[in-house]
Parts: sequence; structure tokens; C-alpha cells
Amino acid sequence: MNRRTVIKNLALVIGGAVLLPSCLRKDGTSYVQLKHISLDGDQQNLIADIAEIIIPKTDVPGAKDLNLPAFVLKMLDDCYNKKDQLAFLAGLDKFNTLVKTKYNSTFSDLSVKDKEAVLIGIENSNKPKAGSKAPARRPKPQKNMAADPLNAFYWSIKQQTIFGYTTSQFFMTKEIFYDMVPGRYNVHFPVSKLKLKLA
Amino acid sequence: MSANTYDAIVIGSGISGGWAAKELTEKGLKTIMLERGRNIEHIKDYVNANKAPWEFAHRGGRTQQMIKDYPVLKRDYPLNETNLDYWVNEKESPYVEVKRFDWFRGYHVGGRSLMWGRQSYRWADVNFEDNAKDGHGVDWPIRYKDLEPWYGYVEKFAGISGNRDGLSILPDGEFMPAMEMNCVEKDVAARFKEHYKEARAFIIGRTANITVAHNNRTNCQYRNKCWLGCPFGAYFSTQSATLPAATATGNLTVRPWSIVTKILYDKDTKKAKGVEVLDAETNQTYEYFAKVIFLNASTLNSAWVLMNSATDIWPDGLGSSSGELGHNLMDHHLGVGAGGIVEGFQDKYYFGRRANGIYIPRFRNLNGEKRDYVRGFGYQGGAGREGWGRDIAEMNIGGAFKDALTEPGLWGMGIGGFGETLPYHENRAYLDKTKKDKWGLPVLAIDAEIKDNEKKMRIDMANDAKEMMEAAGVKNVQTYNSEGVLGRGIHEMGTARMGRDPKTSVLNGWNQVWDAQNVFVTDGAAMASTACQNPSLTYMALTARAADHAVSELKKGNI
Repeated sequence: MNRRTVIKNLALVIGGAVLLPSCLRKDGTSYVQLKHISLDGDQQNLIADIAEIIIPKTDVPGAKDLNLPAFVLKMLDDCYNKKDQLAFLAGLDKFNTLVKTKYNSTFSDLSVKDKEAVLIGIENSNKPKAGSKAPARRPKPQKNMAADPLNAFYWSIKQQTIFGYTTSQFFMTKEIFYDMVPGRYNVHFPVSKLKLKLA
Repeated sequence: MSANTYDAIVIGSGISGGWAAKELTEKGLKTIMLERGRNIEHIKDYVNANKAPWEFAHRGGRTQQMIKDYPVLKRDYPLNETNLDYWVNEKESPYVEVKRFDWFRGYHVGGRSLMWGRQSYRWADVNFEDNAKDGHGVDWPIRYKDLEPWYGYVEKFAGISGNRDGLSILPDGEFMPAMEMNCVEKDVAARFKEHYKEARAFIIGRTANITVAHNNRTNCQYRNKCWLGCPFGAYFSTQSATLPAATATGNLTVRPWSIVTKILYDKDTKKAKGVEVLDAETNQTYEYFAKVIFLNASTLNSAWVLMNSATDIWPDGLGSSSGELGHNLMDHHLGVGAGGIVEGFQDKYYFGRRANGIYIPRFRNLNGEKRDYVRGFGYQGGAGREGWGRDIAEMNIGGAFKDALTEPGLWGMGIGGFGETLPYHENRAYLDKTKKDKWGLPVLAIDAEIKDNEKKMRIDMANDAKEMMEAAGVKNVQTYNSEGVLGRGIHEMGTARMGRDPKTSVLNGWNQVWDAQNVFVTDGAAMASTACQNPSLTYMALTARAADHAVSELKKGNI
């Protein structure tokens, strides 16, 4: 697949997210052709599995259903500089080693519960210390973290998965109320109306 | 009359060029508008305007390729995936930075009127008087009362929404109904008022987005996608407003891909007789002739055109006899402000995306106050709710986290300063003939920086922002004060300033080049100081006033 086809497919995927199943293949062949970062099928699967734990399938589609792994890979490929890509790759190795050491298994073969435990372990290792000054605004997890490649790896996937999810057609048309042409400005709009499930 | 002869030539098609074309054609002058870049047709060519967020491959972000291709644009917010085609190709049109100067350009019909911030404020008496009072720069040859009727004239046509706040520092205009503050801004405004009384003001932004239908333009639909081009024509641009009016007269010819390389000066009549144009597509050279020329190529490029003109008489170009052409380059210095969170209002949101914010007009060095710097600054800002990522303890992955993402985050409120920059003779742009652009033309070298006055002002800009936010009940307020880089404000001004004396200024009080009185420069180049208000409305008023004068002088046979 050349780049143009990838972009076209991605547009299709994003446009018709719910209709298209994930094209992740069981045989490990890569499903996104990358130009600037080298990730084999197993590595792409790992990223997809992590994304699926962050945004799992519930009563509504999850990361894989929405093809968010393809979005994460596209962002990694096109938008990250060499240095960040190398940190990501180093972090990927470190992540695999961490899982192997603790569980003697690959991440993908772990139970959902163990997969969650691995990710929560990384989350907790970055919690601000007790008594530290509260940030003025929403804390950006990427800021002020130890320059550990494991963090670069995990937070890149998490950030792009959430970014992809909250800007997906599914989320913006089925989960929250997003109007392309609002037509007016109403300053008394209750939050309850924003969430379609409650509205 | 030959095919290349018109009554008037307008160089440039942005905010001021569009106004010049409208005024001159409506007064009956056969006019050609020359634009160096491509055409962008209203609505039809706004290719991304109707795309949903998920239709952009990188959701609007920037790729490494874009960062490589746009080494200047990447320095700030304009580099993005959604309107990349509106920004100049930096490889084709380079410039030299003797000191860092962020020059963000748009070379196409409409110029930066397509991407501008639309905040529209009148200047006040004090802004025209400051130069004379504190001795920086030269005295403005005009005062507020000279421009007042023209402000009203351009506001009525452009469509400016705003509140009549009754402030002497920020005169009221001919406004359409104001946009509304959201619930947090209203709350902050009330506490601000209680604390500062009449000493400082916190008002809704005055913006060139129409809030009622006007001249076949639909009122603002609250999409907040202005800079993609508005399919409703709801904000003022050349395409939505001045171009249709000029076209309707039957007197306008628009010629895209036309790089004006020089103004043709006739030393016998001491007037310009036309311009030389390099066709950017074919590299052919053409000449166009007219009785009057409006130079509206944007501050730095207008200076560039003048520097390349009449060099056989004045080696440094038309208008250089004063020694001020290219000098006194200014911008608003910004990147300093404060923000924090606002508690409460968790059940409140807003419907619609308002392309406007709040404004705090200048309050320093007025009414006898004397800080350790001169002039002042204003702030733009606003309150909003953050999106995903409400800090949810022990719930940062998984189904519950996923559900929580539909919950908007905390309310935040922030303000950022826009500071006045003094006119310094040594802040300048000049031709660097050793470096050429794609068309073999010499490029500009820019050598400008902020100095002590601005640096001292920035300390107040940060501290005052924090103090005001805290007084208004904003919590966890943090300040920022980044490097004060010129150009970043995208309010370049002053390379061909107006003045009272041909020895110290390039233009007279009617924007005429002293040395060629049928050449009018009415873009940012003409500014003798910057005030701290966003400048485009003043360019519009100066242009309409100058066009009126030009036609009157033509009729009298004076030019």
C-alpha cells in the first residue's frame, strides 16, 4: 500500500469507523504501511492491544472497532520527530521486557485484568508526589515526567488513542452533541444535554 | 486608452487593498487590482471549510514534513493541516532574519483577510497623541477626529459586532449586536467590575463577524472555523465583502499572479505613471498605467515595492528621501499573560463555538499615571471548558474512563497581552540583493527587536494579568512570559510612516508618498505608532479616507 492509499483508506476508516472491522491480521502482517518508523506486525498488534485496554469495547465500540490503532500509527509515523520515534521504539522494547519479566508472557497473551495491571502500573509510577503543588490547569501527563522511554511509549499511545477517540465520528456524533453548524450561541446550555446518552 | 491603462491601480488584495478597490471603483474609477498570488474564489475555494474534525488525516495537526517545509510558520499556531494552502510557500519566497522575525504571510487574493483574527477596535485620541507627548517617533499628522467618521463608515459596511461600552480609551462604533459572554466570563466580569469599578474594563470582544444578516452575507453560525474561509460570508474578508462590492460596479479588474516589481516614476511630472508587473506563472513582464496608485501589499512588501522603485533618482527607492523608508518597523509584542481555573459551573456548558473572546482595554500610563515605561497594553482572553482528561483518580484507562471522556473538564479562564511597540529608527527592513526569491527578485532582510520599554512593559503585562485574574476569582493563576519576538503579533506596521514633515516621514497626512503624491500607501506601512489595539480596522478607515481624498484631488487636477 502506498501512502496515498493509506491516507485514502484511513479517511474511509475514519469516515465509516463503525462499519469497517479492524484490519489487524492474525498472521502478524502489518496493516499499516509506515514510512518514517519501523514497526512490524507484532509491534503494531501490541500497540492495538494497548489502545484496546485504554478504550475497550463496552456497550459501544472500542479502539479496535474504531480503527484507532491505525490513527495512532499514522500520527507516530507522520507527526513524531526522529528523536521521539527512537524513544518510542526503545520504550516498546522496555515494555515487552517488563511484561516478560513479570508474567513470562507477551502482553497480548495476558488476561484483560493483567493487561490493565501493567498499564495502571505505568500510570501510578507517574503520579505526582504527595504534597507537590497542584497544577494550575489540567495536568498534561507528558509534562514533567521522567525522561523514561517507557513513558514515551505508553503516553504516546494513550494520548493519540484518546485524541483519535474524542475526535472520531463515532464519539462526536454518538457520544456527545457536536453540531457542525450550531447557528447560534447559547450560554445557558446544560452539560446534561451535551451527553447524548443522558439527553 | 490602451488595454493596460486604468484610472487606478491597487497593489495587493488583502484588507486594505480590498477597501481601496471598493472605494475607488464605487467612485467611478476603472481599477485594476494586482495580486501576487493565486485566486481564491469565495466559498468555492474554501476546500476545507465544511470538513468535520475527523475528516483531517492528522485531525488538524502538523506533520514532520510540514515542519520541514515551513521553518517560519512552525514557530507558532498558524502551521496546521486545515488551512496550510493559505500560508506562503517559504521556499519560493524566503527572507533574511538578521534578528528573529516571525513573518507569517498569505500570498493569494484576499491575503490575510481570510485568516485574520477579526478583532476590530477604534483607536482613541491618546493613541494619536502619544508620539507627540512622549517624543518617540514623529507626531501623527492626524487625530482621532479626522478618522472618526471613517471608522463609522467602514464599520457599517464591514459589520462589526460589539457592545457600546462607553469607554474613552476605546471609542464606541457603529456596532451590530454584541456576542454574549459565557456564564463564567459573566461571573468574572461582575467580580472584575466590583473590584476595579471604572478604572479598568472587561468587555466582550468587538469582532468583524456579523451577528445579523448584512449585504447578502449570512450572520455568524458559531462554527469557529473562520480561518478556513466562511461559506456563510459571516466574517469580513476581501472575498465576502469588498470584492463583491467592487465587482458590482463593473469597474474592477482583478489580476492574480501579478508581482509588482516596481512603481514607474516619471521625474518630469514627479508622479508615478504606472507599475511593472512580473507574471508569477509565465515570468513575462508587463506594464500597467494609471493616474493613481494604491499600494496595499502589506507593511513589509509595500516597503519592498517602494525600495525597488525610482532607484535612478533615489538609490534607496521611492519615498526614501526622508531616510525613513523601511525603518520604524513595529508589531505588537505578545506571548505574555496569565490563566487559571474557575471553580463551579460544572453543570453549565455552552452551545455553539464563539469565534470571539473578551477584551481588557489599556489602563496603564493614562490619567497622569507614569510607569517605568511609556504607552500600554490590552488583553484578549476568554473562558472555556477543557475537553477530555478530567483528572479521574484510579480511572485512567478502561470502560469507566471511556465513559468519563464525555464529561467536559474544568472551566479555565485566561488572558494574553498585546503590547505597544515603540517606533525605533533602527528596527528596519532592507533589500538583501545577495539573496533572490523564486523569481530572481531580491528579498527583504529584517532587523528588528523589542527593547527596554517593551521588556519593562512585559513585566507589568504578566503581573497585572495575574492580579486581575485573582481579583476576579480565578484560582491557581499562573503567568507566562515568553520571549518577546516581533512578527509573532502578525501586526507588522510602520515601514513608510505618515508624518507632518517630508524630512522625517514617507507619507503625508493623506497617506500620499511625499515624493509622488499620486501614490497612496494605506496598509500597516503607514502607521506612525502601534497603539495596542488590533490595527486592521484603522487600516480600513485610513484607506477609505485616502481613497476619498484621492478622487477629490483627481477631480481638482491636483494629482
